[in-house]
Amino acid sequence: MSLSVTSPAARRAPARTAGRQETIWVATVAVLLVAVLAYFCLAVPDFRQLGASGVLALCEGFLFTGLIALGEALVIFTGEIDISTGAMSSLSGIVMAALWQQGLNIWLAVVVALVISALGGAINGLFVTRFGIASLLVTLGTQFIFGSIATAVGGNSPPYNFPKSFVDFAGTGSVGPVPDQLVGFAVIAAIVWVVVARTRYGRGLVLIGYNRAASRYSGVNVQRTLFSAFVASGLLAGAAGIFVSGYYNAARDDIGDSLLLPAITVVVLGGVDIFGGKGRVSGVIIATFLLGFLFQGMLIEGNSSLTATMVGGIVLVLCLILKIALDRRAGVHLRDVLKRRFGVAQQSPAVSDA
Amino acid sequence: MTTLSTPSAPATPAPGAGPLVPGAALGSVAIGLLRRREVQLLVAIVGLFALCTALHPQFGVTSNIAFILADSVTIMIVATGQTIVVLGRGIDLSVSPVLGIAVIAIGFPAQDNNLNIWLALLLALIIGAGLGMGNGFLVSVVGIPPIIATLATLTIYGGWQFIICGGESVVSVPATYSNFGNANLLPVVPWLLVIGVGAVAAAYLFLTRTVTGRSIYAVGSNADAAFRAGIPVRRILFTTYVICGFLAGLAGFIYLCQIGSGTSTSGSDSNTNLMSIAAALIGGTTLLGGRGGPVGSALGAVFLSEALQAMISFRINELWDPAGVGVLILIAVVADRKGAPVRQLLRQPFRQPARAVQ
Repeated sequence: MSLSVTSPAARRAPARTAGRQETIWVATVAVLLVAVLAYFCLAVPDFRQLGASGVLALCEGFLFTGLIALGEALVIFTGEIDISTGAMSSLSGIVMAALWQQGLNIWLAVVVALVISALGGAINGLFVTRFGIASLLVTLGTQFIFGSIATAVGGNSPPYNFPKSFVDFAGTGSVGPVPDQLVGFAVIAAIVWVVVARTRYGRGLVLIGYNRAASRYSGVNVQRTLFSAFVASGLLAGAAGIFVSGYYNAARDDIGDSLLLPAITVVVLGGVDIFGGKGRVSGVIIATFLLGFLFQGMLIEGNSSLTATMVGGIVLVLCLILKIALDRRAGVHLRDVLKRRFGVAQQSPAVSDA
Repeated sequence: MTTLSTPSAPATPAPGAGPLVPGAALGSVAIGLLRRREVQLLVAIVGLFALCTALHPQFGVTSNIAFILADSVTIMIVATGQTIVVLGRGIDLSVSPVLGIAVIAIGFPAQDNNLNIWLALLLALIIGAGLGMGNGFLVSVVGIPPIIATLATLTIYGGWQFIICGGESVVSVPATYSNFGNANLLPVVPWLLVIGVGAVAAAYLFLTRTVTGRSIYAVGSNADAAFRAGIPVRRILFTTYVICGFLAGLAGFIYLCQIGSGTSTSGSDSNTNLMSIAAALIGGTTLLGGRGGPVGSALGAVFLSEALQAMISFRINELWDPAGVGVLILIAVVADRKGAPVRQLLRQPFRQPARAVQ
């Protein structure tokens, strides 16, 4: 029966325990978010003076990272990774801008850019599913290719100064005190959350990452699900590229390069296991705000962006140390994780239980 | 099953039972050789060189050959370190800031106080190894997955490099450095290449002739089995990151001699991380660990450098350089798949990979 393919670690840690671990982690990240906001409100006068609407407006500076992170999370849930998302964002923004410059309606240009992003994701997905190549390699290669195409399409002076209606929607406009971007992010995040947490498809997605063989035996179409995760990742990265172009009111061929690492940081900070199979979309959403406000707050405090990035890295390491400590307390040992990842599935239960 | 999977040597020839007919033996040896990625790359390097020289005679002049070789040295050395980490089933994304910090840390004293060149080399190596220890600590002691640990140190070291610079940059180095960077042993052999080849050879001997080196292959093939076989897995992993940092430091020294300047983004702006991984992949090292070797990576670095130079001589705009690297990576990884011809793969939509079926 299917028991024989369930890894020993899975049987020792029933789903409920694993779920509790995830809840604890999401709560930890939420507490950290509150702590960060509290710190900046108390310690940085410039931050305090922004007021509620000002703080909300800060979101415009990092929500596109969150969009990439959501797509990235879908891929990481399956145990794969997509490092072409940054270049994909650049490409999407550039394509949109170039088409608009050629006289196409800006909204039509946005649609074309999104379609191209999805196609780029599909190319990644094809290489991973049909050729069976590790996704890190595929997306490492396509990252270079997407970046080059973006540079080629963009030319020497990429377009800027988009129509006001577009800039208002994608960039700096707001509904009352709530920035448009935040509304867009909320809608997309809600969709991703529902899909992952509440649908059969989402369950399959995460199960693939937990145990690929088991997911096949339980009827998940592994290849198709993997493929769709890459398409979604490309599409969301493309959407991020549109938003980031609107925010800066300019397209640049390297605009997305600096978004990849923060996006992966957000996913990991959000509690998604880098080897797949564990994590929650809600964690990713909260981590977007945690890292984003940390970054924006430090900029307001007068730090350089590289210093802020460095602090982000330190926070990531500290959080992981904390997470590993929590996992150990709950009896999930690193060895089990490594075993699950590195395919020691054929190991007989008798040996591993000893 | 706890059988220790034999780590395949960097380039084991196809284990063919020696046929009795001399001609056939020669043929099978030739085929065995051609299966080795190192040989394939060598053929590709020579072939591309012949092609470019035939079409553009300028390509074959000694100064261009020297340039291609010298240009590949930095990546060659970093890729060697990267290969050692990857063989242990890890990855080091922080090599570019490690290289950058080494450049900056020796560049400023060299510029301002005329730091002795050998002292600078020593300093760069120590700094590299020290930063590598940071990675090794996070991966082997704390237990953070390599890709995440080095992603974090990438940002941390990158920020540190920026802080060390404090808005300044190294704009000139003493003549001893630049002379060393430009000196040639033979007309087409820069001194720097000698250092690079020396580092690769040392790494090759280390990996194939020492217990620690062999253990890296074992750990990369199957960490669990290696552990049961009595190999100190954590210590081995730690060592790989220290060596990688050490070599990145060496590359930083060479970078400074060659380029003669350094900024807060040195290393990162030339995409050292990805180029080193690309060279290793093209050289036949798999990211799954346990297979490959530094010789292939070194040839991969030379091939990358040559291919980029070839693109220039074919008047392909520089902006397509990254795409060229990307295509080479994809070709290399597709070629790396054993069996299963591409046509058959294309015919079966959404085929389940065999490895999923235990």
